[in-house]
Amino acid sequence: MQPGLQAYLTVAGILFAIGFFGVLLRKNTLVIYMCLELMLTATTLALVAFSRFYGTMDGALFVFFIITVAAAEVAVGLAIIVALYRRRRTVQVDELNYLKH
Amino acid sequence: MDLPKLLSLILLLPLGSAVVIALFLRRKGNVAAALSVLVGFVIMALSLYALFSWNGQPLEVSHEWLRFGNYAMSMGYYFNNQTALMLLVVSFVASWIQLFSVGYMADDEGKGRFFGGLSIFMFSMLGIVLADNLVMLFVFWELVGFSSYLLIAHYFKTDFANMASKKAFIVNRVGDFGFILGIVWCWDHYGTVNLAALGKIIAANPGLLGTHAAVAIGFLLMCGFVGKSAQFPLQVWLTDAMAGPTPVSALIHAATMVAAGVYFLARVFFLLSPATLHWIMWSGAAMTAFAGLCALGQTDIKKILAYSTLSHLGYMATAVGLGYPEIAMFHLAMHACFKATLFLGAGSVIHGCHHEQDIYKMGGLLKKMPVTAAAFLLASLANCAIPFFSGSYSKDSIITAAFLAGHDHGAINYGVYGLVLFGALCTALYSARLFGVVFLGTARGEDAAHAHESGPAMAIPLIVLGFLSLSAGWAVQGWTWAGGAMSGLIPTHCAVVFLDAFEKLHASVEATGAAFAVEAINLGVVLAGLAASIIFYLGFEKGDALAVKAPRLFHVLERHGWFDDVYDWYIAHVQQRLCDILGALDLLVFKFTAGWGSGGLAGLTGSLLRRAQVGSIHAYVYWFLAGVILFWAFAVR
Repeated sequence: MQPGLQAYLTVAGILFAIGFFGVLLRKNTLVIYMCLELMLTATTLALVAFSRFYGTMDGALFVFFIITVAAAEVAVGLAIIVALYRRRRTVQVDELNYLKH
Repeated sequence: MDLPKLLSLILLLPLGSAVVIALFLRRKGNVAAALSVLVGFVIMALSLYALFSWNGQPLEVSHEWLRFGNYAMSMGYYFNNQTALMLLVVSFVASWIQLFSVGYMADDEGKGRFFGGLSIFMFSMLGIVLADNLVMLFVFWELVGFSSYLLIAHYFKTDFANMASKKAFIVNRVGDFGFILGIVWCWDHYGTVNLAALGKIIAANPGLLGTHAAVAIGFLLMCGFVGKSAQFPLQVWLTDAMAGPTPVSALIHAATMVAAGVYFLARVFFLLSPATLHWIMWSGAAMTAFAGLCALGQTDIKKILAYSTLSHLGYMATAVGLGYPEIAMFHLAMHACFKATLFLGAGSVIHGCHHEQDIYKMGGLLKKMPVTAAAFLLASLANCAIPFFSGSYSKDSIITAAFLAGHDHGAINYGVYGLVLFGALCTALYSARLFGVVFLGTARGEDAAHAHESGPAMAIPLIVLGFLSLSAGWAVQGWTWAGGAMSGLIPTHCAVVFLDAFEKLHASVEATGAAFAVEAINLGVVLAGLAASIIFYLGFEKGDALAVKAPRLFHVLERHGWFDDVYDWYIAHVQQRLCDILGALDLLVFKFTAGWGSGGLAGLTGSLLRRAQVGSIHAYVYWFLAGVILFWAFAVR
């Protein structure tokens, strides 16, 4: 049996929820970052599924852009985390509270 | 070159000189002096050329300067006979005084500053002379106030000069406050501030002067005169202004600027109602007598001359008040000659005695400084109004006019006659005392014993102006020459302003039949004053005769009636209290409500909003979510 659009969207929704709650609940910056990427991936999955089932290329086109931007964003974000670790010797968010009032 | 262009050149040359000196020549005193003197004499030559090439018709030129809606301010020239006389006086006296300054200020460190100040003063003064409307006149009026401030404070390292310059400026501001109110009201009431236009409006409808507004305008405009010409109750600044260098006292505080008040009154004479004229007459006459008396209580040579100036400004004011502005202009011109000479003579003496100003440390200078002594003697005699000297023609005319006022308009006006006669008596007293103590007898001080005659830069102006002190008044004798272009030693165009009035005045005094008696009384009073002064002062070697014999009277005169003390008390105890109250109100209203109120509100908001910055990235995610939901709600609404 071929899986339908419903199935793809469900997977995408589950992925997004995992990412979302990961961002909300995890303490390690690196894990939070991976969860962010997970949410991004969930949206790309949904876009590709729409593109496939409606037979248009818009979603697929979007996905290329998103992957490109995400690659750049990952490079910058990981660099920031590495720099942060070098400076502060920790990547736990509850210890990164210098901007507290 | 036509007249308006020539006048523009005359007006702008000293401004150019001042700018060049201020920008490039501040440290090059000698070059600055040369430039300033050169410009002074060029202006004198141009003025004479303008006066001789003028056809005698009043000239009105006006250019729009600023426009606010329906109101336009203009700059322009109103050149009539009064302007001609004043232009001659200012340009002539000023250039000789500038030449004198070259000698007097030879060793001064601030020479560039001084000559720059003189140049800017010349520009401002010529602006007053030429101005065709009250707004332009006021602008230049303030500029002469500024240059006066600048030059009084020339020796700014002494506290006294600083304080005197501030005093001069502030006291003038008091008068100018009334003046500017008068200008604004005049603009509102008559619809114009152009002098010629105002003259036409009043001439077409003399009844306009009877309204309350017109009377108030007259009094407010008079305030400007009272401040600038140092009349009661603002006379206190002039004697302190003597802290400036002596040429400045000669030029600004004797010959030209203080007399500008009188010139201004003559320019706007048609705006002055009888009540204003009455006040001017009585206050002027009282000042004549009072200042003349005060001069007897001074021992500083410049202060004596300053009180003499006050007294003579009183004469001019009296003449205006009596309804003879032309005679006031006449006395202004004569006074400029002999008072400039007196001050320059005093400057020469002070220079010769190494900046000693106390007359009781001088003495016996006649032989050591013959040129100065001769010029000083001529000017003193003119000051006393000895017949055939310049001062006699104008001053006797004023006294005669005062007599006529008593004769024609009620006996109360004989009070004015009495006051000006008493002023004449005092003039003779202090003039003889001054000359006798400074030039006769023996030297009383070390500096006076080694005094020497001044160099040619100072002697030549003394000779020129000293000669004019004798001869400037001969214009009224009807000696015309050079094809009628000259009357006596004055260009006819300048002299006509007072010639008619002079003749009319003397014709009307002839008509009363008392002309000879009035003349005799004038001369008698002067001679009696001279004789009394010689008997009382000369040969008395233990200091000032009055100070020894009547110390209390001398003290009153020395303090000139405690005017300064009263003003000091008023400022310290009344005005300062008012300032304190206003300061407290300011604190309450602005600091508590506006200052603390707005600051407090901002602080409170900030401290609340600061709570949002919790420092936990998860909290920010929730904020972000809340924001997304908010925008979403807006989007789908």
